[in-house]
Amino acid sequence: MAKILEGPAMKLFNKWGIPVPNYVVIMDPNRLSQLGEANKWLRESKLVVKAHEAIGGRWKLGLVKIGLNLDEAIEASKEMIGTKIGTAEVRQVIIAEMLEHDEEYYFSIIGNKDGSELLLSTKGGVDIEDNWHTVKRLFIPLDETPSVESLTEVALEAGFEGEVAERVGKIASRLILCFDNEDAQSIEINPLVIRKSDMRFAALDAVMNVDWDARFRHADWDFKPVSEIGRPYTEAEQQIMDIDSRIKGSVKFVEVPGGEVALLTAGGGASVFYADAVVARGGTIANYAEYSGDPADWAVEALTETICKLPNIKHIIVGGAIANFTDVRATFSGIINGFRDSKSKGYLENVKIWVRRGGPNEAQGLAAIRKLQEEGFDIHVYDRSMPMTDIVDLALKS
Amino acid sequence: MSILANKDTRAVIIGGVAGVNAAKRMAQFDFLINRPLTVQAFVYPPEAGQQKEIFRGGELKNVTVYSSLAPSLQEHPEINTALIYIGASRGYQAAKEAIEAPGIKLISMITEGIPEKDAKRLKKLADAHGKIFNGPSSIGIMSAGECRLGVIGGEFKNLKLCNLYRAGSFGVLTKSGGLSNEAMWLCAQNGNGVTSAVAIGGDSFPGTDFVTYLEMFENDPETKAVVMVGEVGGSLEEEAAEWLAASKRRIRLIAAIGGTCQEVLPQGMKFGHAGAKEGKKGAGSARSKMNALREAGALVPDTFGGLSKAIKQVYQELLASGDIKPEPEIDEAVLPQLPPSVQEVMKQGDVVVEPLIRTTISDDRGEEPRYSGYAASELCEKGYGIEDVIALLWNKRLPSREESEIIKRIVMISADHGPAVSGAFGSIIAACAGIDMPQAVSAGMTMIGPRFGGAVTNAGKYFKMGVKDFPNDIPGFLSWMKDNVGPVPGIGHRVKSLKNPDKRVSYLVDYVKNHTSLHTPCLNFALEVQKITTAKKDNLILNVDGTIGCILMDLDFPEHSLNGFFVLARTIGMIGHWIDQNNQNARLIRLYDYLINYAVKPERPVPDKK
Repeated sequence: MAKILEGPAMKLFNKWGIPVPNYVVIMDPNRLSQLGEANKWLRESKLVVKAHEAIGGRWKLGLVKIGLNLDEAIEASKEMIGTKIGTAEVRQVIIAEMLEHDEEYYFSIIGNKDGSELLLSTKGGVDIEDNWHTVKRLFIPLDETPSVESLTEVALEAGFEGEVAERVGKIASRLILCFDNEDAQSIEINPLVIRKSDMRFAALDAVMNVDWDARFRHADWDFKPVSEIGRPYTEAEQQIMDIDSRIKGSVKFVEVPGGEVALLTAGGGASVFYADAVVARGGTIANYAEYSGDPADWAVEALTETICKLPNIKHIIVGGAIANFTDVRATFSGIINGFRDSKSKGYLENVKIWVRRGGPNEAQGLAAIRKLQEEGFDIHVYDRSMPMTDIVDLALKS
Repeated sequence: MSILANKDTRAVIIGGVAGVNAAKRMAQFDFLINRPLTVQAFVYPPEAGQQKEIFRGGELKNVTVYSSLAPSLQEHPEINTALIYIGASRGYQAAKEAIEAPGIKLISMITEGIPEKDAKRLKKLADAHGKIFNGPSSIGIMSAGECRLGVIGGEFKNLKLCNLYRAGSFGVLTKSGGLSNEAMWLCAQNGNGVTSAVAIGGDSFPGTDFVTYLEMFENDPETKAVVMVGEVGGSLEEEAAEWLAASKRRIRLIAAIGGTCQEVLPQGMKFGHAGAKEGKKGAGSARSKMNALREAGALVPDTFGGLSKAIKQVYQELLASGDIKPEPEIDEAVLPQLPPSVQEVMKQGDVVVEPLIRTTISDDRGEEPRYSGYAASELCEKGYGIEDVIALLWNKRLPSREESEIIKRIVMISADHGPAVSGAFGSIIAACAGIDMPQAVSAGMTMIGPRFGGAVTNAGKYFKMGVKDFPNDIPGFLSWMKDNVGPVPGIGHRVKSLKNPDKRVSYLVDYVKNHTSLHTPCLNFALEVQKITTAKKDNLILNVDGTIGCILMDLDFPEHSLNGFFVLARTIGMIGHWIDQNNQNARLIRLYDYLINYAVKPERPVPDKK
């Protein structure tokens, strides 16, 4: 799942003939005044300025300004660029034409296991949730492309009329083409607006998710997906992602501020169960982490050091199921080095470490990490005979 | 009994090194339960035609790599299963071919990162062909006592610990690979082990769902209960709950669902498998799945740790009801042991292996090479030079500062002698013929012998003998040499003479005798010999080979190392000549006719063959 920003989404819409308003993405407000000299619409239309970053709730944060002329838009851009929201900083803004319009529609398409589903409503806009009953749905089987005529039929059923219905049918057809050809997972346009005087349509706001695994067949995907965790990535998260992109297997790391129990867990399935166990026993997690697919020891070492730096943690859970092919001795040597290094730098004061793991070379790996006891670590090591998540119970009861 | 994979399963693995590693693990299982090799063929175009070595216990099998699926199936018509290990960008095509191949009934895909659309298409295609497409991102399928597909089950020791050599009564269904292994272990510890275990992979749109396999388990009389490990996202667990509730089921269902932690996480924060991406509290959430399964009659502990107790409880109930008959445990001692590798046995000290070679000079088994015990970097740090390394590797001792200065001078003085001498000329001819450096340098190197540069060893050897056997008796030495060897090695020069001395010789002799404190019995002896021989003939001087040979003997180098100084030094020169010719882009050379005396018979007719 990879959510992409409005700019790249607009670019893909444009490619597939879905009407979008005029827009520009800038990093330097001075560039906007130059763009104004080149583009009539910037001088003559009302404009909207939005922070072009993966920041939720932009409206409430004052990162969306509407109804501006060019000078006001330049001013608003200057104000927004450089604003810090938590760990995120606004580096880009998108300036778009505020199309005067008569009606707002709702368009979306989302993949499911048999194909996808198209949703249409004549009652788009901020109140769509309240008008959910007006949404007309069309199931589109995998690899089938409905004709413009049949889509116009659906538009008529959804309450669109006459020429508008025909145009909506055409736009729906292009939306389906865009969805299929761009390996999209979901596209939501809300609102799609219409100015009836010249029958001009435009997708004023859109959220698009593409399948990042399919990037190998999209030469023009020059964007990066935005954070999947509802906020921009922190520096530490970014570093682990960079390592992840370079290695066989994977390492993952997400910070959860305020938690007391840090997770240094293995495997995509088991790691979630460890997080669940902490929550179920009334604890709070300081992060989510996962290493899997027999990653290099240095990558696990980097993950370990990152986790040791988490503020105010009381426990570290070095957990995992019985691995099929991840070498316990090798990955644990990375963890051991990470612990040693962190301790020498003053981390891990008053932190208890709880270990449970099985898999190839488990005896050697567990024996090696157990030796940390002799170096003054508060570490408790268990083998496969300890039920997987029970070290969490032990930690939280200690 | 089992589902999906059994004793008749024969597989082709499509993919490279990961597939070969899986085949090795699978062969360990084949060995454990004494069945024929499961993997019959590999398909991997870059390595087509190769044979991969697979050990089934101590027995070495060769499995052929084919360029495509069709010929592999033609030669191995018994293949009924395909395992896809190839990269994501080629995964769709590989799986499609396998699904469309008539003899293949089951396709399991381990490849991760398959685009969703590709996975959906493969599922649709498999459905249309009536095949099972398991995965993507599946660690594999295990049928205890029957067949292992993929690395599911981990290392050999674990196969035994999880009782996978014989069938139990529990089926296992998971998305995660690691948890499939964990669940098999729990079934062995708290119950009587598994019938089959299937990992369906954690992608958003897996090729096969839980219900398909629950149905199969329901129809497998030996499976009495199923342990299912699900997680937040999608609706496969809800569908499993619906299936369970839909009619009276023979099998018991125990389930653990991951992802309840999302309830307390900040809005929008999601992690885990690709498929674990939807639902906070509504449909698709871990909680709703747990509730649906509990309502349908499944046993659902609130954490994964609770699975042990739940399995034990169901096992006891099934024993009590007589559905499971207690069977005597197999004594693990009767199970085969994986033959250890030579390295493993040696580590334990249980075997003696006669070494093939012995070395006394260097060791690279540590972080860096050590010469006669000294780390190379430490030698550098302490100011030692290449001449000290030569002494260490050729004579196993660190020379004194005076000695290494002599060694350095010997190498410097011998490094090159112009293009005309045999060695350099050989290298130059080769370089001009476009030959690469190592071969061109060895062309020059082959010239080194009795007439060119190769007299150092023998000179040193015989002068040393002279010192020992003919002290103060040069005529005796010369007559012995004449009778037994011939001309004295190290004496005589083609162009140099008393009147036209060799500067290299006079420099070395002067340096060693007047600027160092080296004791030089050999050199002294040779100089005495020279006095006698030059009296007979002007050019019978001590030459550079003889000088170097004597000095090196006086430095206590081993006799047979002596030619090495010339070989080493001239290598520097020959490399130089090769580089020089290449820099100039020198053309191919051949001798001019006028440099050759054609002393052959005149042209004449060829007689008829008799």
